[in-house]
Amino acid sequence: MTLILIIVKFLTIIFGSIIAGFIGSLTGLGGGTVLVPVLTLFYGIPFIFAAGASLISTIATSAGSASAYTKKKIANIKIGIGLEIATTTGAIVGSLTLVFIDKQDLIWIVYVIFGLVLLFSLIPTIKKIGKEVPPEMKPDWSTKLFQLTGSYYDERLRKTIKYHGVRWWLGEIVMFFAGFVSGLLGIGSGALKVLGMDWAMNLPMKVTTTSSNFMIGITAATGSSIYWYEGYINLFIAAATAIGVLIGAFFGAKVLVKISNENIRWIFFAILSFLGFDMVFKGLHMINFIITFSLMIQFFISIIISIVLISILFYNSKRKEWSDKNEKS
Amino acid sequence: MKNHDDEVIISYFLKAGVLISVSFIIVGVIILFVKNGGDGFTLSQMSNYNYALAHGIDSKSVSLNKILSGLSAIDGLYFITVGLWVLIFTPITVVFIGWVSFLDDKNYLYVGMASIVLFNLFFAMLVVPRFLI
Repeated sequence: MTLILIIVKFLTIIFGSIIAGFIGSLTGLGGGTVLVPVLTLFYGIPFIFAAGASLISTIATSAGSASAYTKKKIANIKIGIGLEIATTTGAIVGSLTLVFIDKQDLIWIVYVIFGLVLLFSLIPTIKKIGKEVPPEMKPDWSTKLFQLTGSYYDERLRKTIKYHGVRWWLGEIVMFFAGFVSGLLGIGSGALKVLGMDWAMNLPMKVTTTSSNFMIGITAATGSSIYWYEGYINLFIAAATAIGVLIGAFFGAKVLVKISNENIRWIFFAILSFLGFDMVFKGLHMINFIITFSLMIQFFISIIISIVLISILFYNSKRKEWSDKNEKS
Repeated sequence: MKNHDDEVIISYFLKAGVLISVSFIIVGVIILFVKNGGDGFTLSQMSNYNYALAHGIDSKSVSLNKILSGLSAIDGLYFITVGLWVLIFTPITVVFIGWVSFLDDKNYLYVGMASIVLFNLFFAMLVVPRFLI
């Protein structure tokens, strides 16, 4: 009888991971960003086990999707490996910071940071919709020294696009933080990596997203090995999430190609912001800071805040589109 | 990268790594459920997260030295362990292939940069754990 219950428990974790992987791949934030809140908030799994299972599952999705992208030669492996210097260093510092925080019994801090990172990474994700090619910038010294050039074939535009990156040093700085966040929170931190290559180095969106995809795996591998020796990986949970997230990301990628209506993604943004707010509340709840009400009320407050927030953002972005259309006509 | 076949090789390595890893994990999970546990722990102990947290039933308790004996004893936990470590090593092969191809191109700046990345990876695996325990 108990065995059946445990099997059901295992299957529910797989089910949760499939949803996390699906939403993560549709929004471009990666499975871990959704998985950690789902495991801690809904399954009552301790944060370190959630982070451990999530980080190692991130490798699976990263490798799975990167294998498809590198074959098409869109991802720039050279620029990616160059930036990995900063992300792997950041991942070591980040995961050691988590170890320190955990030993000091200050894990509530990580909940709050997680929630804030999740909320802030929504901003560039929402903004980027629709923008493909970056504004033209002159090559600088780092362009030549670090050979930040490349080209790829764009299937939609039906032509080969040549590009070059700038401000390599700035990219490395952002990447250090991306690695730090990845090690600290047990996520791939794809949003920060995209920010590093898109905003700092001015690379095209296609190159950015595909390169960050395979970089996530290398960063996560660094953090995972430290997690492993610290005992942050519960094999029962990790086995379920690795399988589940992989399945979810696979279907997410299939569906993503077919979605023509961008509006559907706003529903997922609302879910993500709910998870972000709830993580912050849970962290504050642990130290009884201001918020001392029960879990149920936290849930409802998070839901209400996120619905209001996303509605405002949605209205804002639509208003721009409408006024653009009116000007044209 | 001059030789563009590298990207195809990398893509195959990634795919193979994920497939091998996932099959080890699935086999391990099946054995775990059939044998009702592994490595001296019962399933109900493992799946009770707070109990597992308090009693150290996690990756720390699985000794990597015992992988071979664990596999030959058909212990599900060790199959999952192998699967997860194959997963950790999968992206590292990408850096390694990159390193070789940079050397091939005589692009020594990038040979050096890839070496730093590899150093970081092995630093995290071999050096950092010694300080933690």
